[in-house]
Amino acid sequence: MKEKKAKGLAGLLTSERWADATVSVLAIILMLIAASGILLLLGKNPAAAFYSFLQGCGLAPKANYGGGSGMLSDLFNYLNILAPMLLASLSFIVAFKTGLFNIGISGQMLASGFLATICVGYAKNLSPWIAKPLVILIGIAAGGLCGAFIGFLKYRFNIHEVVSTIMLNYIISYLTGFFINTKYVDMLTRSSRICSANARLTWTKVPIKGVSCNIPLGIAVALAAVFVVRFIFDKTAFGLELKIVGASRSCARYAGVNVRRGIVMSMALSGAFAGLAGVVYYLGYTNTMVPKTLPGMGYDSIAVALLGNSSPVGAIFASIIVTIFQSGANYMSSTIGVAKEIASLITGILLLFAACGEYMKALGRRAVERKEDRILAERAAARTKGGEER
Amino acid sequence: MEEYIVEMRHITKRFPGIVANDDVSLGIRKGEVYALLGENGAGKSTLMSMLFGMYEPDAGEIYINGEKVSFRSSNDAAARNIGMVHQHFKLVDNYTIAENIVLGVEPMTRKFGILPAVNIKKANQDIARLSAEYGLEVNPTDLIENVPVSVRQRVEILKMLYRKAEIMIFDEPTAVLTPAEIDFLLKIIDGLRKSGKTIILITHKIEEIKQIADRCAILCRGRLVDVLDVKNASVREMANMMVGREVEMDLHKSPANFRETVLKVSHLTVENENHFPLVKDVSFEIRGGEIFAVAGVSGNGQTQIADAITGLAEAASGSIVLKGKDITRLSIRKRTQEGISYIPEDRQRTGVVMDFSLEDNLALRRYYREPYSGRGILNFGEFRKNAELLIDRYDIRSGQGPKTIVRSMSGGNQQKAIVGREIEEHADLIIFVQPTRGLDIGAIKNIHKQILKERDRGAAILLISLELSEVMELADTIGVIFSGEILKTAPAGSLTRNEVGSYMMGVREA
Repeated sequence: MKEKKAKGLAGLLTSERWADATVSVLAIILMLIAASGILLLLGKNPAAAFYSFLQGCGLAPKANYGGGSGMLSDLFNYLNILAPMLLASLSFIVAFKTGLFNIGISGQMLASGFLATICVGYAKNLSPWIAKPLVILIGIAAGGLCGAFIGFLKYRFNIHEVVSTIMLNYIISYLTGFFINTKYVDMLTRSSRICSANARLTWTKVPIKGVSCNIPLGIAVALAAVFVVRFIFDKTAFGLELKIVGASRSCARYAGVNVRRGIVMSMALSGAFAGLAGVVYYLGYTNTMVPKTLPGMGYDSIAVALLGNSSPVGAIFASIIVTIFQSGANYMSSTIGVAKEIASLITGILLLFAACGEYMKALGRRAVERKEDRILAERAAARTKGGEER
Repeated sequence: MEEYIVEMRHITKRFPGIVANDDVSLGIRKGEVYALLGENGAGKSTLMSMLFGMYEPDAGEIYINGEKVSFRSSNDAAARNIGMVHQHFKLVDNYTIAENIVLGVEPMTRKFGILPAVNIKKANQDIARLSAEYGLEVNPTDLIENVPVSVRQRVEILKMLYRKAEIMIFDEPTAVLTPAEIDFLLKIIDGLRKSGKTIILITHKIEEIKQIADRCAILCRGRLVDVLDVKNASVREMANMMVGREVEMDLHKSPANFRETVLKVSHLTVENENHFPLVKDVSFEIRGGEIFAVAGVSGNGQTQIADAITGLAEAASGSIVLKGKDITRLSIRKRTQEGISYIPEDRQRTGVVMDFSLEDNLALRRYYREPYSGRGILNFGEFRKNAELLIDRYDIRSGQGPKTIVRSMSGGNQQKAIVGREIEEHADLIIFVQPTRGLDIGAIKNIHKQILKERDRGAAILLISLELSEVMELADTIGVIFSGEILKTAPAGSLTRNEVGSYMMGVREA
C-alpha cells in the first residue's frame, strides 16, 4: 500500500522538496503581519506603508516624479542596491556550506572597493572597456586574497574565522579610513573623491523613454554569480568536497578530502564574492566611500542568506524582499512619516521568523502524524465494528 | 488471566517510510529476565523506548502492574520505577561517579542551616553501600572520563538502582564489553533477578539469551514472531525465527592460499598529541589471501594502527610498505588510490556523512573518479546506479532508498552501507575495524562471507576486532595487541581461545 501524500500546508512543510521554500514564504507572511501590527500601533495604514515601500523601489508608480526621473529610474536604482546584496549573500552561502561563518564580508567589501577605487577609479583617461573589467577583476582578487588569508590563519594557526574576520574588519576599516582621510578625501563631503565615470559599474544618465536612468551592470554580474555558485555546489566534485568538509571534518579526512585546502579555497571563494559585492556597491551604487564606515550590507546579507535557506536561488528571492524594505525606506519615510529605521526592524523580524524554520517543520510533521493516526483509528474502529456484526 | 508487571498491547509505531512496530503485544512477569531478540532495525529499541517514555506509541496501550499508563517523558517512566541502560551511555564525563548517579535526585543539605547544597558526602556513602550490596564495584569519587567502559556501565546500573527501579531495560549491554566483562555482567543480571527485579534485555546475541534469559520474544521487521521459553528452544530455531529465513551457521572457510606480501609494517610507532606512544614499535606482514586479525581489548592501540596505515593518523616513526612501495608519507587519498579500503571504527563520525543521502555516502570515497565524475563534473546517474547495486547486494534497508538521509537509518544499516561500499572497491588491502559491531547474526554472517570472498580473491585483509569469536573464526594469522605492542603473532591454528585471551590481558610468554 502506498501512503497517500499529505496535502495542505502541513504537507508542504513535510515534503522534502518544498519544505524550505514554504518556511521562507511563511516567514515573509508572518513578518508582514507583525510589521502591520507595529504600523497600526504607530497609527499608520499598513497597506499604504507597504505600497510606499514598493513605490520607493520603482515597483509601483509614485504620485509624481521630479524632472528626469520616473518609475524606471527608481527601478534601476533598486536593482543597483540589490546586486551587491545578492553578491554578499552568495559570499556568506559559499562559506556557510563549508561550515565556515564569514562575518567579514563588510571588511572584504570595503577592501576591494577601496583598492578598485584608487587603482582604477582615480585613473585618468582609461577606456571604459578596460576600466570596468579591471574593476571587477580587482574586486575578485582583493576579496579572494582577504578570504584566503582568513582561511590560511585557520589552517595554519587554527584561528577561528569569526575572530579573525572581526579583527580584519576593524583593521581594514581604519586602514582605508586613514588613507581616505589623508590622500583621497573630498574636502566638501568628507568622503572619498567620486570615482571616474569610466570605472563605474553603472551606465549613468542613459535616456530611456524620456527618463534619465542609471543602468547597473552589477545585477548581471550578480545573477551570473548565482548560477556559478549553484553549479559549483550542485554539479562539481569540488563543490561536493566543500560540502563534505562542511558536514564533518573527520568524514572529509576519511574520504580523502584535503580539509585544509578546502577551508582555504572556500574562504577565498567566499571572499571573491564579497569583493565583487564591494566593487559593485562602491563603484556601482555609492561611488564614494565614507571613511571608517563598514557597509551594513555585509551583515544584512547574513539574514538574506538564511532567509533563502542558504541556497543561491533562494538568495535571489530573499534579497529582493529585504532590499525592497531597505531601498524603499526613504520614500516611505517621507510620504508616510515613519522613521526609516523601521526597515531594519522589519529585516530583523524577518530573520527571527526565518530562524524558526525547524519549529515550523516540526509543527507540520505533527499535524501530518495526527491526521494519519485519526485515519488509522477510524479504520480500526470500522474493523472492530465489522467483527462484532459478524 | 496471568498477572504481568508490564503489558504492552497492540503497540504500533511508525517513522517516515518505516513501520518500526506493527501491532506488537507482550506481557512480562515480575522477576524474570525477558529477552527481546531481533535483527537490526527489527524494532526492539523502539519498543522499549516507548516503555521508557521516550516515544509515544501511535496506537496501542501500555499497562504497568495492571494499570494503564501513558508516558509523556522518561521522567514519567522513572516515576513508575522503570530504568534503562542505553546502548550509548548517558553520563557526564567530567563529573564523578557519585555525581552522575545522583544527578537530578540529589540528596540535599543546608549549609550554615540556610543555603541549600548537594550533600555529596551522603551521596558517596549511599553509592558505596549500594555498590557493595549488588556486587557492582565502583569508586564513587572517580571521574567518569578516567574509568573504563565496563565501569561506566556499572554506573548506569547503579543509577537505576539508586532511583529504585524495579523494571530494568538493558539495550545491547554486551556490545561494548570484553568476554570476561560479559560474564561478569551476566552474573550481575542474575543477581538482580534474584533480588526480585524484572529485567528486559535487548540483544541480538543468542548465546547470551541462552545463558541468562527465562523467556525470549522474537521480533522480525517490526512484528512479534513468537515468545519462547528459552530452556526449550534451540539456538538454531531462535536464529531462524529472528531472521525469518534459514540461517547458515557454518562459514565453510576454505584453506588459505597465501600469495605475495601486500602490506609490510615495520617498527611503526604512533603517538597522540602529547607525544605519548599509543602504538609501540609494531611490525607485521600481510600476504595476499591472508586474514591477519588483531585481537585485543578495546583501547590498546588497534585503531591507531589502522589509522596510521590509511593515513588518518601520522606515524611518528617506522615505515608502511604497500606492494613494495613506501606509503608512509603519502596523503590519505593517494593511499586509497594505491589500493586500500578502510572500514573505520566510528561509523557515524567518520564512516558516513550523516546528513547526506545514502547514494552520496555510497560514493563517498570514489566520487572524484571516473565514472562518478569527469573533468570535475559529477555524474549523478552513476551515483544512483552504484547505490542501487550496493543496496541490493548488501541488503541495506532504509525508508526511501538511495535518497534516504543516512541519519534516519538504523546503525546496523549504516554499517552495512560502509562495509558494502568498501568491499566493492576490491582493493589489495582491506582494513576492517569492528566490521560487525552492532549487527545481527544474519548481517554478520553475510559480512563474514564477504570478507572470506575477498581473501579468496587474493586481497590482504587486516581485521581488527574486539570480538574474540570473530577473530578465532576468520583469522589465518592472529596478532595479539596489548598496550600498543603486539605481544604475539602466530598462525591461527596454533593458538587456543584461552591463550589468545590471556595475551589480551597482557600475559607474555606462558
